Amino acid sequence: MAKPTIAFFKFSSCAGCQLNVLNLEPVLLDIVGAVDIRYFVMAKRENFEGPYDIGFVEGAVTSPRELMELKKIREECKILVAQGACACHGGIPSVKNFSGMTQREMEEKVYTELWDLKSFPAHGIDYYVKVDAYLKGCPMDKDEFVMLVKSALKGLNPLFRYHSVCNECKLKENNCLVLTKGIPCMGTVTAAGCGAQCPSLGRACEGCRGPASDCNAASLARTFIDLGLSRDDVVRKFRKYAGNTPEFSKGAEAV
Amino acid sequence: MEAYILPKAELGNFVAALKKDNEVLGPVAKGDEYVFAPIEDVEALCLDYDTTILPPAKKFIHMPGEVLYEFEGVVEGKTPEKVGKRVLFGVHACDLNGLLSLDKVFLETYPDPYYKARRENTAIVALNCVSPCSDGFCASFNTGPSADIGFDLCLTDLGDRYMVEVGSNKGREMVKGLNAASNEDFIARNRSLRVAQQQITRRIDADNLGVLLHQNYDHPVWREVKEECLACGSCTSVCPTCYCFGVKDYVDLTLEKGERQRFWDSCMFYEFSRVAMDHIFVPDRETRIKQRMYHKLTYYQQQFEAPGCVGCGRCVTTCIKRIDPVEIVAKIQADPKPEKEVKLYTPPEKKVKPELDPWEPQKAVIKSIKQQTPDVRTYTFAFVDPEVQEAYTYDPGVFNMISVFGVGESAISISSCADLKGVFQHTIRAVGNVTNALAELKEGDIVGIRGPFGFGWPVEEMKGKDVLLVAGGIGLAPLRPVIKYIQARRNEYGKFEILYGCRTPEGMLFTDEYDEWRKIPDTRLHLTVDLVPPGCEWGHCIGVVTTLFNKISVDKANTVVLTCGPDIMMKFVVLDLLKRGWSPEQIYVSLERRMSCGIKKCGNCQMGPVFVCQDGPVFRYADIMDLPGGVF
Repeated sequence: MAKPTIAFFKFSSCAGCQLNVLNLEPVLLDIVGAVDIRYFVMAKRENFEGPYDIGFVEGAVTSPRELMELKKIREECKILVAQGACACHGGIPSVKNFSGMTQREMEEKVYTELWDLKSFPAHGIDYYVKVDAYLKGCPMDKDEFVMLVKSALKGLNPLFRYHSVCNECKLKENNCLVLTKGIPCMGTVTAAGCGAQCPSLGRACEGCRGPASDCNAASLARTFIDLGLSRDDVVRKFRKYAGNTPEFSKGAEAV
Repeated sequence: MEAYILPKAELGNFVAALKKDNEVLGPVAKGDEYVFAPIEDVEALCLDYDTTILPPAKKFIHMPGEVLYEFEGVVEGKTPEKVGKRVLFGVHACDLNGLLSLDKVFLETYPDPYYKARRENTAIVALNCVSPCSDGFCASFNTGPSADIGFDLCLTDLGDRYMVEVGSNKGREMVKGLNAASNEDFIARNRSLRVAQQQITRRIDADNLGVLLHQNYDHPVWREVKEECLACGSCTSVCPTCYCFGVKDYVDLTLEKGERQRFWDSCMFYEFSRVAMDHIFVPDRETRIKQRMYHKLTYYQQQFEAPGCVGCGRCVTTCIKRIDPVEIVAKIQADPKPEKEVKLYTPPEKKVKPELDPWEPQKAVIKSIKQQTPDVRTYTFAFVDPEVQEAYTYDPGVFNMISVFGVGESAISISSCADLKGVFQHTIRAVGNVTNALAELKEGDIVGIRGPFGFGWPVEEMKGKDVLLVAGGIGLAPLRPVIKYIQARRNEYGKFEILYGCRTPEGMLFTDEYDEWRKIPDTRLHLTVDLVPPGCEWGHCIGVVTTLFNKISVDKANTVVLTCGPDIMMKFVVLDLLKRGWSPEQIYVSLERRMSCGIKKCGNCQMGPVFVCQDGPVFRYADIMDLPGGVF
């Protein structure tokens, strides 16, 4: 049987997720042995046209050119995977959606030459096309990536569990940052899968993996106010990585 | 009581002596909190700890994650159990009682070999609380502050010395060389424990709690809790009696080699009840919160005759919102709903084969595959080991856990009758990971089978009565054994009527057997479909299955109804029959839930106090209709 073909694409993002694929040293050769990487501009000189079996898309879509490309990619890929917070929820680029500025004002803030620039609010790719699987996080989790590749090769649903980060944090017996230090941590409402990396290092969860299933962001927003955060800070917490999602919007709009 | 004195200055030597033969696990500081960890240095041992983040017994005996099996392709091998001798040193009474509750789950009916191995190799040195923690309410359930049973040794801090009570022969070995306690020591111990008891002011009035909660399932306090609860599930992770787990197969990049793991799961999680096609049985947060609270405060007692809450207070300590069972119960008690008579569910007596290793699948080979509809196939299996096959028997309506190694395991009802010798059958729709993988298999391929599990259809009670089967879609599969069973014993039953509904004619199962069924004496078969696609021939009824009720000819007063199908179908079947004057005592339903074990351990299939896997899957409707939260 021919090896499945895979491709990596990038829109508005930092390329950190693609870099994370290359950081998979212990299993990278096994992956290369199991699949045929046909398109990966960051890692390969020779890249080939589609169609592909699996396409990994990194980055938010924020311009007409990107949208056109995305639609073409969707047609070329049997399985389309949103890779990382930007492709899943809009990520950091989506912060601009809630800035209160017009699109033109924002373009002027960033660029000097505006004659060739067309942009619109940043969204995850499933705002425009059907997405078959998500690799959440900023950057995406390497283990989850490998698990997804294996599931795709076996034709299975990877059955990721998007309960809260607290579960993984508790299993590591970390001191709860909210309860012991009063630090506004997003862990309770954020989808697990990262192994509670940030809280394990004493840093608050930033919510980069987006909302946990059936999370209660409004209730957490009230806790943040009790912890002494200003209303603006609470809004910024919920609009940082997944502000586009209805779940985190509820948090931003609760106070 | 046999007791000795351990001067505090001697504690180091005492622990060092234990460490010669055992791994000693005790409380150590972690930041501002405490955790149980291997004791390298006795100085690190903090016996004045208030509580630990995770309960020690659950952490080290019902491990957060472990490998159940390793496999390569289909050949499974059991993981060698390497469990050295251990001592849990300084376990509070609440946690000890939590362990005794876990024992009920893991050591009774189908003893869990993994848990059992660790449990038997772990000695417990309990520690009475002389200065109780602030969130605990153990005195409510007599699960603290002092330990009565279940320990090998039990320490009480008497200032400059510990009193060491002996609870077992294992413990007696450990205290060799210590001086016996004096009368004064006993007096000092009793005095300080009495003081401790008085310091515990938080209390749940445990009398009749089950009935009170049952009556107040719709109390407004639950809406308040729902608005507050962050649904993070921490309360379940830190609970000493929460035992639920999930099971998943992991493969390496060869895709053949891998292991089956189990991991702590939580009924607070949205995906806890997820099955194929992303169907979620308990999508509503309020229902999940109540399932947890009720399970702790009443269901556990009903299921295992052990306390589900030991009052350790961790769920409150760990909750950012401080959702507190003590407060909730107090609120309900202050403003209860009008009393109504409720009957608490008691599970049926279970017949098991306890010598069985409940986790070890038997290899079975696919003898033949018969396509029933485009996505449903009937598989005929036989165990590879002829002795296993010879001994294999089952009641109509029970199920097996079918494993495709590297993919997972699913609970699937048996569609053949045990009269069929040498083989058994499953009729399976390809909808999820396991069933889709089964659809890829061919004759001669091997799967893993555990079972049979559960209670089936009441074929004994039905004797002498008329029988009405009402099936929908794939729900005919678990009812087919009943048809075969009655066919083979026709004179033992009265009139026999089968109502079968499907979405389309194309979706109907066992179509080639209908003529044979119709030939069974005094038997009628009525068919209906929801819709007939253009160009399709259909000479029977059109409409949902309840439209066939007008054709029923069995004697209502003397009939047993067996129904199986999607929940929504069974709901309307039951509603319609009750409206027509049938009684809930004569209706039996077969329920479906997510299952990871089949043996009343993983908790996935719990529906109120009911384990669908072992108390069911077939239930008399009258037995479950009054469950808090209902059935459908």
